[in-house]
Amino acid sequence: MAAPVGAEAPAAGPGALWAEVRALLPGTEGEFTLALSGEVDPCVRPLLRRARGLLYGAEGPAGGEAAALRRLGHVLRDYSWEKLNAGPWQEVSKAWRQVYTYGCLFGALAEISAGCPPVSAVRLCDMGLLMGASVLDNVLGRLVRVLQQHLPRERRGAAGLAAEKARPEPRPAPAVRPEEELPRLRCPSLESFRDKHLIPQKPVVLEGIMDHWPCMRKWSVDYICQVAGCRTVPVELGSRYTDEEWSQKLMTVDDFIGQYIVNEKSMGYLAQHQLFDQIPELKEDISIPDYCCLGEGEEEHITINAWFGPEGTISPLHQDPQQNFLAQVFGRKYIRLYSPQDSENLYPHESQILHNTSQVDVENPDLVKFPNFRKAAFQSCVLMPGQVLFIPVKYWHYVRSLDVSFSVSFWWS
Amino acid sequence: MPLTPSQPRYPRMPLLPMGCAPPGAGTRDALAPYGLCPPRCRYRGCPYSLWTVPYPRYRGCPCSLWAVPPRCRYPGMPLLPMGCSPPGAGTGGAPPRSRGAPVGAGLELRSAGRRQRLRGWREALPSETHVVLRGAAAARAWRRGAGLRSAAWSRFLPRGPAPRPLPLLPGGFALPRPPFYRALPAGLRARSLALGTEHVLLLGTGGDVHAWGGGRHGQLGHGTLESEAQPRLVEALAGVPMAAVAAGGWHSASVSEAGDLYMWGWNESGQLALPCKALAEERAQGEEAGAGEAGAGAAALSPCPEPPEAEATTFISIQALPALLDLPQEPEVSGVSCGSRHTAAVTRGGELYTWGWGKYGQLGHGDDASSDCPRRVEHLVAQGLWAEAVVCGPWTTYVCVREPPDPPSSTADCSEDPAAGTCLGPTLPSAPQDQTCSDSVPPEPNSEPQVGLQLHEG
Repeated sequence: MAAPVGAEAPAAGPGALWAEVRALLPGTEGEFTLALSGEVDPCVRPLLRRARGLLYGAEGPAGGEAAALRRLGHVLRDYSWEKLNAGPWQEVSKAWRQVYTYGCLFGALAEISAGCPPVSAVRLCDMGLLMGASVLDNVLGRLVRVLQQHLPRERRGAAGLAAEKARPEPRPAPAVRPEEELPRLRCPSLESFRDKHLIPQKPVVLEGIMDHWPCMRKWSVDYICQVAGCRTVPVELGSRYTDEEWSQKLMTVDDFIGQYIVNEKSMGYLAQHQLFDQIPELKEDISIPDYCCLGEGEEEHITINAWFGPEGTISPLHQDPQQNFLAQVFGRKYIRLYSPQDSENLYPHESQILHNTSQVDVENPDLVKFPNFRKAAFQSCVLMPGQVLFIPVKYWHYVRSLDVSFSVSFWWS
Repeated sequence: MPLTPSQPRYPRMPLLPMGCAPPGAGTRDALAPYGLCPPRCRYRGCPYSLWTVPYPRYRGCPCSLWAVPPRCRYPGMPLLPMGCSPPGAGTGGAPPRSRGAPVGAGLELRSAGRRQRLRGWREALPSETHVVLRGAAAARAWRRGAGLRSAAWSRFLPRGPAPRPLPLLPGGFALPRPPFYRALPAGLRARSLALGTEHVLLLGTGGDVHAWGGGRHGQLGHGTLESEAQPRLVEALAGVPMAAVAAGGWHSASVSEAGDLYMWGWNESGQLALPCKALAEERAQGEEAGAGEAGAGAAALSPCPEPPEAEATTFISIQALPALLDLPQEPEVSGVSCGSRHTAAVTRGGELYTWGWGKYGQLGHGDDASSDCPRRVEHLVAQGLWAEAVVCGPWTTYVCVREPPDPPSSTADCSEDPAAGTCLGPTLPSAPQDQTCSDSVPPEPNSEPQVGLQLHEG
């Protein structure tokens, strides 16, 4: 993955790092077009131009300009952050997300040119990757790759090693009665999958299609830590997203593993996050199931989410608007599926935000409050590593992890 | 000698220009000696038991002090922190005139060190992209940077009684961005209106609050995270008559006529003065950082009077129902304004409190710390200045100050030394008209406050 790097940061100090970083940017100020995909408030462009001028004016790290550049980065990020939070995320203009990315870029460059440790710049890049939109040919992704080389080596993988200590014997999985069990197929042909499962919209567990994916032999908690330990990701805190105390928090993968995988003081779940867009090195270890080509959508519109968490994470019963392949890399998950025809018996929430979620706790239902729930028929399975579950569109599903688990989901249509 | 804010002159003055009257106003009771008998005072805090005086001449004022000027202990009583007082109060009818530089009516634009009068316009409603101006006969909007002749929008305003302040317009309200105007339902009688980033608050003539617009951060106060397309009454405040409302980026505030402050919405930077998790974690990290950093860190992070323990406190990220705020020493709030992610409040004792996001110095405490506790702006106290009104821009705070009134002397002759007020920010709310004013010069909006400016003969 990387050229070998010295044990600590390069001996030349910040100068060498700055040279490498500077090489990622366009050669001249004229080539650095501050193009935006739309209109922004008139006060923003002068700030962008001023920041660009500071970059190309100085010959490397310079104290006064780094402070001014840092300040401009803060202002651009704070101003565009307010625009990102005004209205639903889908309606946020791409131009404002690009401004946010520029704000992260200038902030990260200011940190580097001031000689700060690369972790702060990596965090800024991650904020831009999470909330911004690509500019200058994904400059933040390229920048973060350079910065990762320059992190002190012993930082990486610290928490992952602790995760390999002996775990108590895995708890037995819940019993799955034969009549509820989902059918399993080994490498069905495209036609038979389409005719027997996709068109009739019947869920099925597929085996053997992940066998050649590199993640099956490479991935472990330790490996994730090594590759992505310093990266910032959104983590869900709280036992389930329907709870009042549920919240999301940004933290590094190191912190997440240390606090929630190894120690498990409370529930934390790296859930529904497009980790593979943020960290391309991990994307090389997976591939898209062939059966996705049976859909109408384009391959680049397939949403790939990572689901990484300790034992006991719960996704309450809910439905998604797209077809889903849930691929299990390590750990086991107990999954229950209910057909959309049973939707009325599942008591979905009234509010618009939670309208795709059932009010019933599947493994501990309140049958006094939700009497029709017992009429709903379901299928279930324990998804083992190497298996892929096909969940048809709008099929209700409930997931509980039985071990430290990593799943990859593919939303396609 | 500057008035110490801890002993305001009229600590619980209940009146407001908005037309409130205590229950039983105008009934004939035994006249109580002025300033005595708090146990008999039915209106909490009123120092005069004045509702015993019948036939108030000043609409809404329960005290009608000027009705008995010779016996009135407080002849020049500055009735309202918002600056209105009946013309001729205590002076026998001469209209008040300010000392010092004449200001006159109208708007003045100050930007980048330049000042420009905008003749013929009374009020302004700016945004980052446009500005709306309202004059006597029309309202107009321009894109910033555009020429004066190319207005983006214009609306004729019918002549009528004293207009409500912007953003209210006859039949609706103005927006500082396209489409510049929205109608209001006909039955809704509005006293004032406040615009947030995604929502709108309306204060009705009966002291009721309506909220609508985006509600994803609880800023509507209806107890849910749903948005509302039409004005909807905030039922949680239905029993409490409100005097003022303010809207910030994603939070809302309202002040009751009794001086209580209610807030709701997003608390991500402590702008509701409720415990904020992010700030608590910053404080914890600042302590862990040790002596080197903590010198700057601890000063930068505002300590609350009772610092909550990170484990025990319930942190509030979104407050979807109005919550009553307690300022330190529980003064009564006279005005509130909300910025994008911060809040500022002025008390009847002339103090200014700020809290919320402080990264750009908008809290006025001399640092860039954010705070989830209300903190008094000490600079004003140190300078001996009395805060009258506050208005917040998105990342700024403007406060209108003046020299404080002298404390009351023990004799009956209570002469004040008026001082010209200095306005450090944009428009003040306009004074109500009083048709008995002999000079028949209508009080102009944006003029210097009449409070404290009356000259006393003898």
